[in-house]
Amino acid sequence: MQRRPVCAIEDLPPGSMKLVAAGKFGVGVYNIDGALYAIANYCAHEGAPLCAGYVGGTNEFAPEEPGGLRHVREGRIARCPWHQWEFDITTGVNVADPNKRVRTYEVDVADGQVYLIA
Amino acid sequence: MNTPIIDANVQPHFRYNSEIRRYLSATHKLRSIPDVEQQWYQAPGGDYREDLYGDGYPGSDPQTVARHLFTDGEVDYAVLNPLTRGNIADYLLNSRICAAVNDWLLDRWLEPDTTDRFLGTIRVNPEDVRGAVAEIERLAGHPKMVQVGVPMQSREPYGKPMFEPIWEAAAAHGLPVAVHINGGNGVDHAPTFAGHAYTYPGYAAFMPLNSFVHLATLIIDGMFGRHPGLRFVFADGGYDILTPLMWRLDTFWMSMRDQTPWVDRYPSEYLPDHVRYCTSALDGPTDESQAERWLDFTDKADLLMYGSSYPHWSTSSPDDAVAGLGSTQREKVLWRNACDLYGIAAGVEGSLS
Amino acid sequence: MTTVESVKEGREGQEEGVAQDIAVTIVDTDVHPLPVSAEVLKSYAPAEWKDKLWPTGNAVSVVPHFYDTPDSYKTMSLRVDASPPRGGVAGSDPDFAAKQLLVDAGVSIALLEPMCDAQLPQAEHVLKATHNDWLADVWLGGNNWHGRWRGAISVSAQDPPAAAREIERWAGHRYMAEVLMTPQTRGIPFGSPHFDPLYEAAARNSLPVATHLMGQTPFELIPIYPVGNPAHWHDFFASWPLLYVSHLMSLVFDGAFDRHPELRVVFVEGGFTWAMPVMSRMDRIWEQRKADLPQVRRKPSDYVREHVRFTTQPLEDVNVAMYREYIEMMDLGEAIMFSTDYPHWSYDAPDWAIRRFPADQREQIMRGNATALYGLPSTVKALPGEQPATG
Repeated sequence: MQRRPVCAIEDLPPGSMKLVAAGKFGVGVYNIDGALYAIANYCAHEGAPLCAGYVGGTNEFAPEEPGGLRHVREGRIARCPWHQWEFDITTGVNVADPNKRVRTYEVDVADGQVYLIA
Repeated sequence: MNTPIIDANVQPHFRYNSEIRRYLSATHKLRSIPDVEQQWYQAPGGDYREDLYGDGYPGSDPQTVARHLFTDGEVDYAVLNPLTRGNIADYLLNSRICAAVNDWLLDRWLEPDTTDRFLGTIRVNPEDVRGAVAEIERLAGHPKMVQVGVPMQSREPYGKPMFEPIWEAAAAHGLPVAVHINGGNGVDHAPTFAGHAYTYPGYAAFMPLNSFVHLATLIIDGMFGRHPGLRFVFADGGYDILTPLMWRLDTFWMSMRDQTPWVDRYPSEYLPDHVRYCTSALDGPTDESQAERWLDFTDKADLLMYGSSYPHWSTSSPDDAVAGLGSTQREKVLWRNACDLYGIAAGVEGSLS
Repeated sequence: MTTVESVKEGREGQEEGVAQDIAVTIVDTDVHPLPVSAEVLKSYAPAEWKDKLWPTGNAVSVVPHFYDTPDSYKTMSLRVDASPPRGGVAGSDPDFAAKQLLVDAGVSIALLEPMCDAQLPQAEHVLKATHNDWLADVWLGGNNWHGRWRGAISVSAQDPPAAAREIERWAGHRYMAEVLMTPQTRGIPFGSPHFDPLYEAAARNSLPVATHLMGQTPFELIPIYPVGNPAHWHDFFASWPLLYVSHLMSLVFDGAFDRHPELRVVFVEGGFTWAMPVMSRMDRIWEQRKADLPQVRRKPSDYVREHVRFTTQPLEDVNVAMYREYIEMMDLGEAIMFSTDYPHWSYDAPDWAIRRFPADQREQIMRGNATALYGLPSTVKALPGEQPATG
C-alpha cells in the first residue's frame, strides 16, 4: 500500500471518476457531490472492470409511489458493465446482497492534490 | 409402515357426467358442461386407472375410495381436490360449476365421513375474481375444507395483480391455494412453450412444469412479499426442475433487482414459507441411489408432500414416492409437511403414540 | 491482460507468415457479431428487398426489446466495456472482438451467431441469407486470417425448403460450422415434420442445428407462455428454458431423431442444468406409456445424450461445491459446451466459468465437446500479444 497522487482536485469534479493503475486490476476514484471514494476495478461476480460501468442511482420499494418505486442514491451506485450488479460506491457493498462487496480504498485531498492509498 | 401417511392429492369424481346437474340451480342446470373424463389431451385409453372403472367413474364411490386408500393402502388422511371439467369461456358458468362441485364434495364425501379422514378443497375459478372470493367466504369456515383449489390453466400467471383478492381471502382464512391441472379452465393457451403437443406424453410430461411460471411471478411480482401467510401447493409435481430454474431466478435477481425492489431477498428464500409440491409418478431421478441426495438440492425435502393422484393412471403409492429417501426425508414427505401445512395435528399425534 | 490496443495494429507490426500455432484450449459456442450499421447490412441484400426488410419512417430503435434487460436503454443489452474504440456497437468490429475475446479472454475459436428475425416467411429467409453473406464477407473472409472465427448459417424456420437451399449454398464454406434457427416457431415444436427438409439438409452436410433464444424479435414471434407471460425480464428469462424443454420433448417424443439419425441439435443460451430432471421425466413417462410412443424406439435420455448439446452460459451463480456436485450427478459431461455470449451483458468469463465445472470435465466442456461436434482443429494461429501454450 502506498499513498499515490492521483490528480489535481480540479481534474476530478463532482460526478467524475479517475482510473488509477494501482493493485492488480486498478482502482476507480470517484467524486460524488464533493466527497471522494475509491473502489477496486473488479466486480465481485466474474471479475469485470467495475469502474467501466455506468454510475447512477437505484430504485427502492415505495408502495405509496406510482409504480411502487422511488429512485434514490443518485450518483452513488456503480453498475457492473457486464451483469449490471449494483455496488454502492460509498461503501463498496452490493445493493441486492450485502454479503457481496468490492474492495474500497482511502482517498484524501492535500494541497489541491487527490491522493489514493492503495 | 407404522408412521402416519397423508395423501395430499386425490381426485374424487362424479359417478356419471350429468350427476353434477343435481347441484346446479335451474339457471345453469341445462347448460353445456364437459364430461368428467378430460376431453383436452385425454390420455389414450382414458385418464384414470382401468381397473377402477366400474359402477360409475373411477374415484366416484366414497366407500371404495376409502377402502383403497385407508384399508388396502396405508394412508390415514386424504386431501380431496376435485377437478373442474374443461375449457369454459363463460366464467360465471365456470364459477357455478365450482360451487356445484364444492356442494357435491360436502354432500357426498365430507359430511357423511364419520371417520374424518377425508379433507376437502374449495374449488374456485380465478377468472371470476369476485365469485372466487365469495365462494371462499362461503365455505372457508367448514372445518374439513383445508385448502382452496384453482386450475393450472390460466391466461395470466397467478402472480399478476388481478388475482390478488383471491389469494388474500385464502390467506386470511389460513387456507393454502392448490394449483392442479384440470380439464382446462377458460379459453386456454397451448400447453407447452412450443405450441400444442403431438403426443399425450409430450403433453403430460411437460404440463406440470408450467407451475414454475406461476411460482416465479408470485415471487417477482411481490405477491408472497405482500402476503406472508400465503401458501401455494403445486399438486401435479414438476418440482425437480425447481433447482435449475430457481438457481437461474436467484442469479438474475442480482441484475434485475432495481426493476422489482420489493423482492428484498433471494427468490429461493421465499420457498420454505410459501411453496409446497405434491409428489408425482414423473418426478425423481430414475436412479434410486441418487434420490436422497437429489432431494436435498433446494431443500426439496421440506417442500414435498406425498400425493397419489388416485384414481389417475399414474397413481403412485407411498413406497413409490419415497423410494431411496432417508428416514427424515420420508417422514417429511409422507406426513410431516402435510400435517404442518393443513393443520392435521391431533389425529396424527394420536396415531404416533 | 494485453496492452495491445488493437490486434490489427499489432499484426501490421509483424512479419508476414510468422504467426505461430497455438493449441486450442477454449472453444466459445455463442458469440454475437453485429453489422456496424444498417446500411452495411443492407448492402448485402437483394436490390428489391433493400427497402422492404428494414423499417422506414421514424422508428429509431435499432434493437427492439419486448422485455427490459438491465439498463437496456443505455446498454442495448451489451457489455458496457465492449464498445470498439473506433466506434460502432459492441460486436461490430472483428478486430476489437478478437482483442477482447480471443486475446484478453483467451478464447481459441468462437462460433458467431447473428441474431435476426422478420415477420413474414419470405422476408425471414431473405434477412437470414443477407446476414449469411455479410457474416461470410466481414467475419469469415480477410478478417479471419487467423482461422479462429466460425459462422452459423442462419435459416428460416418458417420456410424449411428455403432453409435447406440456404444450407446447401453454404455447406461447403470452410468456416461455416452450423445451422442456426429461432426456437420461437409460432407454435410448431421442433419434432414436427415441418422441419424435416431443414434437418435433412443439415444432417446430410454434417452441420449441427443450433437454436438461440431471440430477444429481438417481431411481435408475433414473442413466445406466449402457456399460463401467461411474466411482466419482467427477470422471471421471463428464468422461465425461458422451458421453451427448450418443450422443443426437446417434441424432438424425442415425435421421433425426429429416428427420422434423422445424424441430426445434432444445440440449445444455446438456455442453460443445461434443467436437462437432468427433464431426461428423467421423459424416461419415466416413456416407461409407463410406451404404447403412446411407437416412434420412440430407445430410452429418451439416450437420444438426448447422442443428439443434443447445450451451451453453458449463463452459468448459475450458486455455491460452487454444490454446483460441481450437481454437474457430476448429471453425468452429461459430453453434451455441455462452454460459451460466453460475448458481447452481451450476461457474458460469462472463461476463467470464472472453468472453476465451476468438476475438474475432470473441464477439458471436454471448455474445448473437447465443441471440437468433436464442429470438427475443429487442435491448433490455431496466435494473435499478437498471445503466448503459445507450452506443453
